[in-house]
Amino acid sequence: MALFPLTSNFEGDFVLQLVAVDTENTMDEVAAAAAVHSVGRRVRARPGHILRIRRQGADEFLPRTMKVAESGLKPTETVEVIWQMPHG
Amino acid sequence: MAVLNRMDWYDLARSTNWTPTYVTEDELFPPQLSGAFGLPQNAWEKYDEPYKQTYPEYVKVQRDKDAGAYSVKAALERSRIFENADPGWKSVMKAHYGAIARGEYAAASAEARMMRFSKAPGMRNMSTLGCMDEIRHGQMQLYFPHEHVSKDRQMDWAFKAYDTNEWAMIAARHFFDDIMMTRDAISVSIMLTFSFETGFTNMQFLGLAADAAEAGDHTFANLISSIQTDESRHAQIGGPALKILIENGQKAEAQKRVDIAVWGAWKLFSVLTGPIMDYYTPLEHRKQSFKEFMEEWIVAQFERALTDMGLELPWYWDIFLKDIAETHHGMHLGSYYWRPTVWWNPAAGVTPAERDWLEEKYPGWNDTWGQCWDVIIDNVVDGNMALAYPETLPYVCNMCQLPILGTPGKNWNVKDYPLEYKGRLYHFGSEVDRWVFEQEPERYAGHLSIVDRFLAGMIQPMNLEGALAYMNIAPGEMGDDAHNYAWAEVYRALRETRKAG
Ligand SMILES: [Fe+2]
Ligand SMILES: [Fe+2]
Repeated sequence: MALFPLTSNFEGDFVLQLVAVDTENTMDEVAAAAAVHSVGRRVRARPGHILRIRRQGADEFLPRTMKVAESGLKPTETVEVIWQMPHG
Repeated sequence: MAVLNRMDWYDLARSTNWTPTYVTEDELFPPQLSGAFGLPQNAWEKYDEPYKQTYPEYVKVQRDKDAGAYSVKAALERSRIFENADPGWKSVMKAHYGAIARGEYAAASAEARMMRFSKAPGMRNMSTLGCMDEIRHGQMQLYFPHEHVSKDRQMDWAFKAYDTNEWAMIAARHFFDDIMMTRDAISVSIMLTFSFETGFTNMQFLGLAADAAEAGDHTFANLISSIQTDESRHAQIGGPALKILIENGQKAEAQKRVDIAVWGAWKLFSVLTGPIMDYYTPLEHRKQSFKEFMEEWIVAQFERALTDMGLELPWYWDIFLKDIAETHHGMHLGSYYWRPTVWWNPAAGVTPAERDWLEEKYPGWNDTWGQCWDVIIDNVVDGNMALAYPETLPYVCNMCQLPILGTPGKNWNVKDYPLEYKGRLYHFGSEVDRWVFEQEPERYAGHLSIVDRFLAGMIQPMNLEGALAYMNIAPGEMGDDAHNYAWAEVYRALRETRKAG
């Protein structure tokens, strides 16, 4: 357990923001922490969607249950927080 | 007794170079301060200044300028223009004075460096006058706002801003430190006078003078037009220096300095001047959009000046031309959303009529910036004010020190430009900001942005209260909506109409 700063680049928002998470947080929890600072503030919620995390420029999302400590992300590294319509 | 015409003696009288015998040339003109670019004194003696003014002429003209500006101020002091001005206009003045006044005074020391250390006698004469210009600009832009300090504490930031760690001030200092406080005489002439003052100062002062006259603020209009007449003279110090560098095979070094300074100036103007022109200035008083001003005063002016000089357009010109329609909308949204952290009250500038204007000037505005504003407007109308203020920091660029941003909504293109250097991860707002860093990493690497300082534990407690204390924003100085959200009434009414219908 350790505080871990990330930079959130939230789909539809206009600015990168500092988000404090924990090394034990999963990618779903990272997405939720990032959403606090964008959704309902400058980005409308998208009903029926979930939020996924990927490295900037990557095509693949990081697994939803992957922990920050396992992700290889560096402190303050920028992650993209992307709206996704769950399959089926 | 007949007096010689100025041109019969000027060139001879100001040719004050001599051959030192007690010290070496490098001791008389240390390269770190003189920026000799490997050129000896006599190469610089060819410097031919376009403005040949003598000291008595200067004093006479400046006296008249001062008399004009001060008498307009005195005549209008009891006119209550300030009290009756639109709050958006007051914010224009506050942002301008805070960001500019002490920077002008600092510029006197940059001019003084050219005055003492330039190897070009003509440059030394021009910058002697330029140095006195900048002292005048510092003094006037502290004296003029002073009459309003007792009415409005934020006006105190005309003097105070430069001594604080307020984020926009860190950005302004970082830029001015880079182009004028820590460069040699020749680089100052290129970066401060040629790159910054020729176009950008001109736009800030003439553009704002036009808006001020429209807004009925003749004191401010006269003040800044008076200042601009000095700027347009001493802005010409850099041109002849560039010519000498190019003739002596130093074009690449000259070009690099132009490219660095123009980009930094652009970023600073995107946060200072962009919001003022397109959002704070009341709609009916807007002359042109910020983009139109940029195209006329910066783009056209630089393309001409650089071509005339034999320089190239900066390598990033296409990026720049695209950004002048985008970046300042984000700077405005950012300084509005983080409004408790600025020393003026940002005007939202997003009534339906203002949005029509924005859409006309920037097609697609409603589908991009407008989408973020829609959410803010809903929160204000619904009284969800907690969501209309921030709870974290925007990530800022390690070069320009301004938020890293892009276009939101349907054209979302926000991107980080990271760089790892000696084990530290740096973040930049654009390819160009990162390029500037890479030109001379050691020059910039040690600087901590406001976010770096926060993460290093230098801001305590780690919340808004701690941030305001760190930024020296005292009670009564914190920014909030310029019109106290009165603009939201029209949206409330629209919603009622829709419900009724
Ligand atoms: Fe000045
Ligand atoms: Fe100047």
